[in-house]
Amino acid sequence: MKKLISPEELGRDDRFERADMMDRIADPRNATPPEDSKRGRPGRLTPDRADASDSARALMHGIFVGEIQALEGAGRTCYDFEVGKGDDDVPFELKLDMARQCWDEARHCEISVKLSDWMGTGIGEFSENAFLFQAACNPDPVLRLTGVNRALEGLAIDVFNTMREFGDLAGDPVLEFCEDWMLADEVTHVKMGSDWLRKLTVNDKERQKKALEFQKVVDKLFSFGGLRGEEDDNPIQLARRFRELAGFDDEEMEEIAELSREARAEVEERGRLAREANVQSGV
Amino acid sequence: MTTTVTPSTFTMVEYDAGVITGIADELADKVGLTGVDIEIEIDETVPLGRNRLESVDPVHIWVESGAFEDAKKFRQFSEVNAADVLGRHLMRAADRRSDAFGNPADDGDLSLEHRAAWDIYTVGRLTRLGYPANRQRWLYDFRNRHGFTDVTDRIFDELWNGTDLTWDRVSALSDEAAASNSGKLNRKPA
Repeated sequence: MKKLISPEELGRDDRFERADMMDRIADPRNATPPEDSKRGRPGRLTPDRADASDSARALMHGIFVGEIQALEGAGRTCYDFEVGKGDDDVPFELKLDMARQCWDEARHCEISVKLSDWMGTGIGEFSENAFLFQAACNPDPVLRLTGVNRALEGLAIDVFNTMREFGDLAGDPVLEFCEDWMLADEVTHVKMGSDWLRKLTVNDKERQKKALEFQKVVDKLFSFGGLRGEEDDNPIQLARRFRELAGFDDEEMEEIAELSREARAEVEERGRLAREANVQSGV
Repeated sequence: MTTTVTPSTFTMVEYDAGVITGIADELADKVGLTGVDIEIEIDETVPLGRNRLESVDPVHIWVESGAFEDAKKFRQFSEVNAADVLGRHLMRAADRRSDAFGNPADDGDLSLEHRAAWDIYTVGRLTRLGYPANRQRWLYDFRNRHGFTDVTDRIFDELWNGTDLTWDRVSALSDEAAASNSGKLNRKPA
């Protein structure tokens, strides 16, 4: 079987539609700051929002495809690396952790499908982008584990906590219960990433530094230009308490919050430049 | 009676004003909205999907471009989504213009619960006119607004299958469902 597959090689049936991130980045509507809309920014995802249930359905579908890719990523990490002590190898116990994570992610896929049914969403109703799996393609096992288990699974903590709170506020016992259980798994996955990063780089501080740099890149990318953050109008909120349980210290969480603010500022700056370009070209 | 779509030509999304006009005209005919001009204002600069019925004479509907967008393809038009959004607003405009229906508050003053109940009554009628809708999606929306109770589900069915309901009846059913909810909702107007 082939090792180190690309996102384009992931198997999907015809219900799924892959979205090209370049199309999203090139969308000229990105030039409009949300506050310039007649209705302002959509704000934090709570049941009080007029579009609450549809936004929650879209986010739930994003969680579902994210779980599929997380399963594929953990599975590839089990398979892509040999057991050994070299830089390209991993301890057998790490593979066992990844196998356990596969089991969790497969369960999350099934839970997400059932939650989507509950919320009235069909499989493939929304597009899928594969940039979560792209972070799971790093050929260095330490960088891959840091990017996936600390950055992406950290984002999963934020997303699940947002959905759990949504379910709690709406009085939806099914959503709240399911998200709470999945959240507990995600805390474990992040903890595994933190533990393995420390163990595998205990005598190689340069590699640890590279891994943490890679995590920052992934964290910034997955702040989605301000979708995730700590401001009141960030739809997905940084879940500090659960991240703390997963092994993040205050300094690391402050850094993620700052990366989110930077990502938002960069998107706003790109929008400003695009507006200037539109004015100059007469659009 | 004329239907006007603004802008008439789109530069940021691949929408066709003629297609949108056609969908609106067919819907207006089916929901019995006659003798009034229809204006559809699309903010194509915003990818979000918020939308609103702003007046009933003329009927003025405001939407952000995401409301008519194909959820699988950026900037592409979805006839189903456009019919869903326009259908609800046109049906509600027809209700508002009908003496028999009664006098709901302005949209901006409606509670989220009352608005949701009216949506269910509206979408139920649209499905019987041949416009498909995912019943579970609307049940979830109704439960989010009124609580996840058996009473809520029973009232949802009454609204979904309802014909010739008045605003007094729609709002009373919404109030009954909300009263059965022991949750912590404390909604403000949409």
